[in-house]
Amino acid sequence: MRGNNKGATRRRVLVTGVSAGALALAGCIGGNGDDDDDGGIIDPDEYDYERDEPDDEDAAMDSTMVYTQELERDDDFDPVVSNDAYSMQVAELLYDSLFEFDYEYELQPKVAVDFPDVERDDTRFIYEIHDGIEFHNGDELTADDVAHSFLAPVEEETPNATSYDMIEDIEVIDDTQLQVDLEYPYGPWEMFNQGVNIVPEDARTDDVDAFNTDPIGSGPFVWSDYQMGEYVELERNDDYWDDPLPYLAEIRFEDNVDDSSRVGEILAGDTDAIGDVPNADWDEIDGEDDINAHVAESPSVAYIFFNCNDGAGTANADVRRGIAHAFSATDYVETYLNNAAAPVVTPTSPITNELWDFPLDEWEDAYPDYDPDLAQELLDENAPDDWNPTFMAPDDERATLAERVAQRLDEIGYDMEVQTMAFDQMLDQTIYSEGDPDDYELYISGWTGGPDPDQYLYSNFHESQEEINQGHHYEGSDDFHDNIIEARETGDQAEREELYTDVIGEIIEEVPALPIFTEHNSMATGEHIKDMHVHPQMQYNPHVVSGDGNVWVDDD
Amino acid sequence: MGLLRYTLYRFVQAIPVLFGITIITFALANLAPGDPVQIMLQGQEVDEDLIQTMEERYGLDEPVHERYISYMTGVLQGDLGQSFHYNQPVSDLIMSRLGPTLLLVLSAYAFAIVTSIPLGILAAKRRNEPADHVSRIVALLGVSTPSFWIGIMLIIIFAVQLGWFPSTGLVYPWWSPEAYGYTGWPGPLEQLPVVGAMFSQYTLGGWPEHVFQIVRHLLLPMIALGTLQMATLMRIERTQMIESLQGEYVKLARAYGVSERTILRKHAFRTAQLPIITIIGLNLSTALGGAVLVEYVFNINGMGRLFIDAIHNLDYQLIMGVTLIFGTIFIIGVIITDISYAYVDPRVTYGGDD
Repeated sequence: MRGNNKGATRRRVLVTGVSAGALALAGCIGGNGDDDDDGGIIDPDEYDYERDEPDDEDAAMDSTMVYTQELERDDDFDPVVSNDAYSMQVAELLYDSLFEFDYEYELQPKVAVDFPDVERDDTRFIYEIHDGIEFHNGDELTADDVAHSFLAPVEEETPNATSYDMIEDIEVIDDTQLQVDLEYPYGPWEMFNQGVNIVPEDARTDDVDAFNTDPIGSGPFVWSDYQMGEYVELERNDDYWDDPLPYLAEIRFEDNVDDSSRVGEILAGDTDAIGDVPNADWDEIDGEDDINAHVAESPSVAYIFFNCNDGAGTANADVRRGIAHAFSATDYVETYLNNAAAPVVTPTSPITNELWDFPLDEWEDAYPDYDPDLAQELLDENAPDDWNPTFMAPDDERATLAERVAQRLDEIGYDMEVQTMAFDQMLDQTIYSEGDPDDYELYISGWTGGPDPDQYLYSNFHESQEEINQGHHYEGSDDFHDNIIEARETGDQAEREELYTDVIGEIIEEVPALPIFTEHNSMATGEHIKDMHVHPQMQYNPHVVSGDGNVWVDDD
Repeated sequence: MGLLRYTLYRFVQAIPVLFGITIITFALANLAPGDPVQIMLQGQEVDEDLIQTMEERYGLDEPVHERYISYMTGVLQGDLGQSFHYNQPVSDLIMSRLGPTLLLVLSAYAFAIVTSIPLGILAAKRRNEPADHVSRIVALLGVSTPSFWIGIMLIIIFAVQLGWFPSTGLVYPWWSPEAYGYTGWPGPLEQLPVVGAMFSQYTLGGWPEHVFQIVRHLLLPMIALGTLQMATLMRIERTQMIESLQGEYVKLARAYGVSERTILRKHAFRTAQLPIITIIGLNLSTALGGAVLVEYVFNINGMGRLFIDAIHNLDYQLIMGVTLIFGTIFIIGVIITDISYAYVDPRVTYGGDD
């Protein structure tokens, strides 16, 4: 059954003529820069489908589904090692986690009975886990396995080590209780890091390499068949310990990295569902009677970063403000990403902001609006003589943003050179460089964070991450970097909120980076796929079984 | 020189060529901007220690020339190294991806040869008649249309609009039917174009169904990749056949009253094939290049996609491995072409005295 609002508003928008095409034309001839007019930009709430229960549960239990992912998996199914979102989409169905994200992006107990007891100034967390949970091989899931899942990334120096290197010690109290001690209070711990996937210590350490190609968890699905680089098949775990039991008897993961080819697959009925509907194909997919389009907010933000090193015109905050006022991010999103993204005003994603009591109205007012006169005034007064900045962008849809900014600057009499290149090459010349102003003064990059502001602010703005995760070299006010660390190393959420309010406020005011848009998670499913809901945490998709949805196939 | 000695001689000649390929590829890959460890850790919160640990783990902290020497030492021992990105032996990755690419390329060649030679002969026989004009237009379109665009058009028409063929993927002959059984194809005969509805009550199952699905999945990518080869070969076949049919020995055969059919088959056809063999051998590189794009459009996990991914991830070992294999395939193709000459043209020898 379709959601009440499914597509209706979108189609009304098209009928009234405020279509993406019309806006594209407006954008090309200059746009009006009216940020209040967000016509044509998709609203994920309109694609919030209602629950859909089968009439015949026995028939539903025979459901099978093929899901086509939008990028190739690295085929790292061991969560201790994997930092590949597409492998983790498979792994999330195999493993249970200590806590799991709900649709509001808040952690809820899963293997843990409840939230932990917190002691020792927010550095000691005492967990109790459910008794009697079994891994797929019949071994019981105990506190030892939870401890191993926390410690293994650090001990084995995997790419996930930084998520748990603040752990000082773990004491296993008994089979169902453990005590985790941190070296210092770590702010994001409660909102993010304690949601660890639990692996079976004995089975995994027996042969780590073999475990990756025959992984064992305690989750709702068990490993069934696998061909490297081709497909993964999972079967329902009929002995699953938690409710609900999945309706899907089998799920098969394939991938198709070519956008048009992937869309062709769902249109031809060669797959049951695809991840990531390209912006340009959204209307066609949404208009098909036998296909459902899905979209949900995600914790991603795309930014324009400004080089703040001495010698760069953009080292001057007024020059940065001038550039920010020279174009409209809303117009850009309406023109190029109206079905895939939404404009943002903060360096943290909207979904993150909803979890915190931030002064969003104040920040929205402070965000530089489209004002070419003010832009020209600021640049005329502050830009260096013969200023000719370089804007580096990856050679994907983000290049159009760089071109848009250059076009707007040209309209007010300033030349900007846009250089587009492969994304990795761009990172090498910006983020991993020393930030020579002759090389670049602006670049664009995206970041997927999480529910905690630290997941954006530390990597993208703290000075320790220069030449590792950032290439803007922003010095900031006296407290700027200290506040980021202080907020990171305290467990007092009210204090953290206050510190982050200052940090984000300064970023919006001083513009070392200009947040532009957040890109949504999207999916398309055949009409026969029922009760599918897109989760904000990308690794959870396809989210086929939870308390809020249980996917089944209607063959009638 | 005998055939065996000649073949061995050509393979020995190929060794310095392959050696040169490794030097050039290794240098280009390492000169490319980017850092494989940073690419691997993208999106992660990273510290310097972790970067250093990973560089040491993959030997990236050593100078380039030392890495090359240790890489070549491994190659000479049959070890193509470990992929950074996939964390798998390069040889395993190549073995898993080589089959689909060879299946695609060889089937495209088969399609090209089977269609181009009869059409080329027909065009030569019907020179300056409507059939010849049609073949010329077909050849012009085939040569000037990119294979990926042909692929997209085939998908739109025959998969999305008509639903006769699958839009993506291959079914591999070397996999058991059970590997595909999960998708639960409805009675496959029902999927036959046009007449499928008449067979809705029949199912194949097992190996017959497997063979049916292999052909059904292969048809569109095969045509997409083979069209360029077909067009090229057809025009060359036509030209060569016209030249052969005007030869003195053909005129003599006609004077002796040899039938036109025999002249065509025994006298003209065979001598016209030498340039065809040359083009087939030399076009192997074009076919492998085209396969990269066709694999993307049809979502086929072959060597082309593997190579693109290796470049994106600066996976040095994988770039080297795929380049070596492509180079070897091309060299083998050229050698086979040279050897084939003798079968077609008795005037060709392998040099030296036997």
